[in-house]
This record gives sequence, structure tokens and C-alpha cells, in this order.
Amino acid sequence: MSLEQSDSPVDSQNFDKIDSHNESFEQDEHTDTLRIMDNQYVFIVLPSGNIKVVKLQKDTTVSLGKFGTFHTNDIIGKPFGHSYEIYDRDKIKVIRNVAFYEVDLDDSGANNQETIDDPSKQKLSYQDIEQLKKDGMEGQDIIKKVIESHSSFDKKTEYSKAKYIKRKESKFSRVFTPVRPTLYSVWEYFFAKNPSKIRDMRIDTLSQMLTLSNARAYAKLLVVDDTQGLLITGVMERLGGYGIVLGIHDGEYHNYDIVRYMNFSKKVNDSLMVLSWQQIFKEECQAPFNYQDESKLSQKDLKFYLRKKANYEKVQEARKILWKGGFDGLLVASQYQPESILDTLVPYLAGSRPIIIYHINREVLVNTCVHMRISGKFLNPQITESWLRQYQHGHIENDMVFVCIFKISKAVMYANFG
Amino acid sequence: MTSFLSYKTYIEEGDLVIAYISRENMTPLIMDPKLTYNNKFGTFRHSDMIGKEYGTKMPSHNGRGFMYLLHPTPELWTHVVPHRTQILYIADISFITTYLDLKPGSIILESGTGSGSFSHSLARTIAPNGHLYTFEYHEERAKAAKQDFERHGLSDLITVECRDVYKEGFGITDLVHAVFLDLPAPWDAIASAKAAFKQKRIGKICCFSPCIEQVQRACASLNEHGFVEIKMFECLIRNQEVHTIPVYTVKDAVSKIKVQQDKKRKRNEEEASDSKAAKSPRIKQDPPNLYVSKTPTEAKGHTSYLTFATFLPVLDDEVEIIDKVNELD
Repeated sequence: MSLEQSDSPVDSQNFDKIDSHNESFEQDEHTDTLRIMDNQYVFIVLPSGNIKVVKLQKDTTVSLGKFGTFHTNDIIGKPFGHSYEIYDRDKIKVIRNVAFYEVDLDDSGANNQETIDDPSKQKLSYQDIEQLKKDGMEGQDIIKKVIESHSSFDKKTEYSKAKYIKRKESKFSRVFTPVRPTLYSVWEYFFAKNPSKIRDMRIDTLSQMLTLSNARAYAKLLVVDDTQGLLITGVMERLGGYGIVLGIHDGEYHNYDIVRYMNFSKKVNDSLMVLSWQQIFKEECQAPFNYQDESKLSQKDLKFYLRKKANYEKVQEARKILWKGGFDGLLVASQYQPESILDTLVPYLAGSRPIIIYHINREVLVNTCVHMRISGKFLNPQITESWLRQYQHGHIENDMVFVCIFKISKAVMYANFG
Repeated sequence: MTSFLSYKTYIEEGDLVIAYISRENMTPLIMDPKLTYNNKFGTFRHSDMIGKEYGTKMPSHNGRGFMYLLHPTPELWTHVVPHRTQILYIADISFITTYLDLKPGSIILESGTGSGSFSHSLARTIAPNGHLYTFEYHEERAKAAKQDFERHGLSDLITVECRDVYKEGFGITDLVHAVFLDLPAPWDAIASAKAAFKQKRIGKICCFSPCIEQVQRACASLNEHGFVEIKMFECLIRNQEVHTIPVYTVKDAVSKIKVQQDKKRKRNEEEASDSKAAKSPRIKQDPPNLYVSKTPTEAKGHTSYLTFATFLPVLDDEVEIIDKVNELD
């Protein structure tokens, strides 16, 4: 587009450009994740606020417990973003979501002066409601009925009316929302479920690691991940299948469980290579592979043999790539001492490349920082703490957790200058 | 030619090098063998730098000091960019990038361009097959940003347009996946931003506003235009200063007093006897060290509030929609 302002909003040349971009994106594999697809992971947000992870399979049903059941075919192919209400046991209809209902500034003069805790104000009993449900009454109608049967609902302030409705909705509503797995939603799910498994890493911190490490297409990055694959997931997404992510993992086999929830394309999945701490050392030789004549193997044995061979060759390939060096950055979120990780992996980095180390305990990083200063191999080691506060519908959540990140560029020293 | 999109090992003529003198002092240099760079540490010839590896510790020609030659990244560029306007910092940049779900292939709308610092980060993340449409109403700033993008190998990924988006809108429809509005009155651009979204998929918008009054108006406008999941965040980064401190004990405190008393006594004795007694050498024992960190007394405070919302896709069959509001009323 030209810098000069033109009368027509977009000239014809621009249209060409826009169209070609449009098209190129449509062909991109990421488009797949924009609609609800068969054989993919989806988070289902229930009226109670709980989240259920489902791998959708076409021609099946998904049970949401007391909220009901739906047929997967009814949501496959639909875009993400909408909610659905279950009716007639297993039928669904689209519900238009709204951000919030504006609550009029309260000039009714209502307040809680007269409020007394009296369950008899609600004329509907538990049994009545159960009967309504049995009769097939829809969630929204039950809520309406509950409100009508509340003898002093009108005496509530507008704010507490809204709160009351919300509380009843979480109980009687049958509205569920399929949520697209993104780095944010996947993190949110695992952080709520078991934060210690992802080393208490918050999304703001993870985001800073991805930015500071300059993770982008065509990068070649070393990642030490003891966060169930959360960090690896972020790095893989930012590389988008262009480049190499080499994950160094604990134990004999990696446990990057979180990666699969992102529904990555084959191209993105193929960018990940893994090695165990043992496999990175040249002196720790791997048992040599016993090559066999493939034509002499039975069908069953051949399948097993080929898989074993492929695994062996993948490891050999990853070792070769590591030892060749020239990596563009190192990201660490590990249980192991950062100094020992640096000593082991920094030789494989090119000059002027970022190193980012995460730890929930500042003390660990303070020692690492001093170690880095003394070594003279690093420039500008720095510890930062990230801070995030979310304000939501008037409620303030103060979310301050201590986290540290290191930002360093590796400096190459020449003998004649150093 | 420098690229923010791939790394190089060796410095070549025409490259952009970030000269790192100290944490507070970095400067961008475009390698030209005819030029020299001077600072208080001496003279640095570009011709000496060309051919060196990125990350090299470069001594000045007269040997009075040195600097490091760093490979440019959008983050380093943030430190050295000529501030034509207030720019975004790493905490906000990082959080926005994740929340807007940006990755290779994303198509984004940014307004305004400002100094083009955030545009560099965005372009880096969406490369090689995404696109950034960025709008700036100040003509000189738009021109300067465009020039930077060209020099930095980003012009294929970024389209800059000089435009008053309040009056004219963005002129883009059914195209982008995410919108970032750093405008004083985002509510005047939200309708046009809504049209810019790719209509049949979910999208995310972020309004970046320093004042809470702006946030309130933006939220109301987002709600009116049918955006959902309106959430507001504030994020900050605080540096930690790392020091090594000696750990003295009460015993040390006592012996310190003893040493002082000793000195006094000796001086008195010397005066009395007027003899020049040999000074007893003081044995100083170094205490053990402790590595500690502390938050600087003056940390960077509030930058802006980040208001996010979700754009809902238009349904294939709009008739299906049941208006929840009407039903409840």
C-alpha cells in the first residue's frame, strides 16, 4: 500500500495482494484448527465452569454427565466460538454468546437491609425442580421458573439479581462451549489441573521465554523441558514446522504429554527431535543397531523391525545435529541445576544467541547468575520477575507469583582479543 | 543485508549490528567499511568488524575499551529504536503475542504503527507466510517505519498505510485473524476492526490503553459490537539485582570492637613510652559470601491496561441463533 492517502480505501493492486495472502493462508495447515474437526482434541467448558478434554471421534456421542449428551457430528465442521444448549436429552442448538449484560446503575433504592436468610422464599423445592427436569423442561426455562418462584427477587439490587441468575445458570443451564486448544487454553487447563506438573509456570512467563528466545520460523533451538512438554509446545508452535526443536529430556523416554493437545500438523510435529541426557554424550555409546535383511523377515516382524530401525536412526540423526552445533538459543525449565545444564549445552550454541532459564525459586537462579558472571562466556545475565493481574467483571484477582528468567547473549571470545 | 528473520554467523558489509557497550548503552551500526564508530572507549572501525563472528568482544582501535557485536533481534531493536512515540515493552509484547494466538501464518492488523518496534516483533512471529497490516496516521512516522522495515528485510511481511482510521476505517474486510489497537480512542475504530476480521472463524482483539477510563469505554464498545470474553490484564517485569554480600556474625562484631580497643590502647602506650613499637600485623579473615538478589527501589511501573476480547464467527445459518438475552427477559 502506498504511504499517500488515496480516495479509494483499497486500490486494485492491494486487492490482488490481499487475495493472494488470503489464499496462501487457506492452504496452510493451521486452518484446520479453526473449525471443530474429527479426531482432534477439544476442551469442553461445562456450565459448572469445569473443563473436560475430549478427542472427538465422528459418529459417536460425548457424555457431559448431569448436563446431558451430544452427538459429535453435530459440532464437527462448525467454527469455534459458539456455545450449544442441550435439549431433548441429546439434541443441541447454538446459543449466541454475549460478553456481559449491562447492569443499570441502581436507582431502585434496593439494598440488603431487609435481607434475611430464609430458604422459604424459594417456593420451588428440590423435588419440584427434579420433576421439571424429568418432564424435559429446558435449562433456561427452569432458571426462569426458579426466579419467578423467588418471593423477594424484586427486592434484590440489580447487581445481586445478576449474581443470582449467574449462580442458577451454573446449576441448571445445559450450555456447553467447545474451546479450541491454543497455547493459552492448553496452559490454562494444565495450570488449573496441576500447576506443579508444569513447574508452576505462568502464561506471562512462558510468553516472555518465547519472545526473549526469539523463537520463530527457521530457528534451531535447544529446549530442556521438565514441564510435561508445555515449553516445547510453545516453541514448536512459534516455529510452525520451519526449523528444528531439539528437546533434551529426563529419563529414558520423553514425557511431553502436553504437545498432543495442540492438534499440531504433521509438519509441526516433525520439527521436534528428542534426546535423553544420556544420549547427548559422545562417550555414552548407544548399543549399535542390528541391521537385518528385510526381505527375510515375516510381515509381522518386518513392521516391528522397521519401527525399531526408524527410532534408532532418528536418535542418530538428532545426535548428529546436536554435535554439529550452531544452535540459535537455549530454553530451560528443568529440575536439574542450571549451571550443569549450561556447561553441557552452551558449547552447541552459536555466538550472540539468547539463553533463557526459568525457575520458580529465585535462589536457584541467583547462584546461576553469579556462575555466569564469573565464567566470562555470557553477556548481561539478568534475573527478572514477572507480574500479572487480571481484572474481570469488577472482580480483581491479584496474581503475583515469583518467577525468574535469564536473558543472556552468548559472547564468542577470540584468543587474540580475549 | 540484515534480516530479522534468520540468523547469520559472520558479520558482512551492509549488516545491522547492535553494538553493546553496556546494558543501558547499545547502538545500531550498519556495516560500511568506510566508516568508524567513536564512543568514550575509543574508535571502532567497521572494517575491523566485518568478517567477525556475531557475539565478538571487539576492542577499540586504541585499546582503551571494548564492546560486543550482537546479532539484531526484535527485542534488541526495542532498546535501540529511535523513539518516535512511546513503545511497548517486553512484558506486554510477550503476553499480547500469546493471547492473540500469533504464530507463523497469522494475519494481523496493527494501529498505530508508532515507532514500528512492536511491528518488528509481530513480523518475526508470523513469518514466513503471515502478514501484518499496520496503520499510522502521522505521515513522517509511517515513512520512517516503512524505511526501517525495508532495511530490515521485513517489507514482504508488512504493509504500512498512512491513514486516519477513525475517519476512514481500515478499508480491509474478511481478512485478519487478530487486531491490535494502540489508539487513544479505540472505540472509534472497533466497528471497522470488526469488519476486518475473517468472518467465518474465531478471532482476538487487544486494546492497549494507559487509562482506566479508556478501558471502560473500549469494553462497552466491544460489548456493543458483539465481542465476547472481554478481559483486562496488566503485566509487568521487575528486574532483580544480584549481589555478593559478606556474612558477618556477632563474633565478628565483637572482634571489630576488640581491634579498635587494641588500637587505642597501643596508641596510648606509644604516647606514654614514646617508643616506636613495631605494629602487629592485623589478620583479616574474609567472611563467607552469600549470593543475594533484591528488587531495585525504582522499578518501572504501570505501562498500559491490556483489554482482550474474542470475535465470534458468523454462522453459516444465522437463523439457528437463539437470542439468549430475549429469552431471559
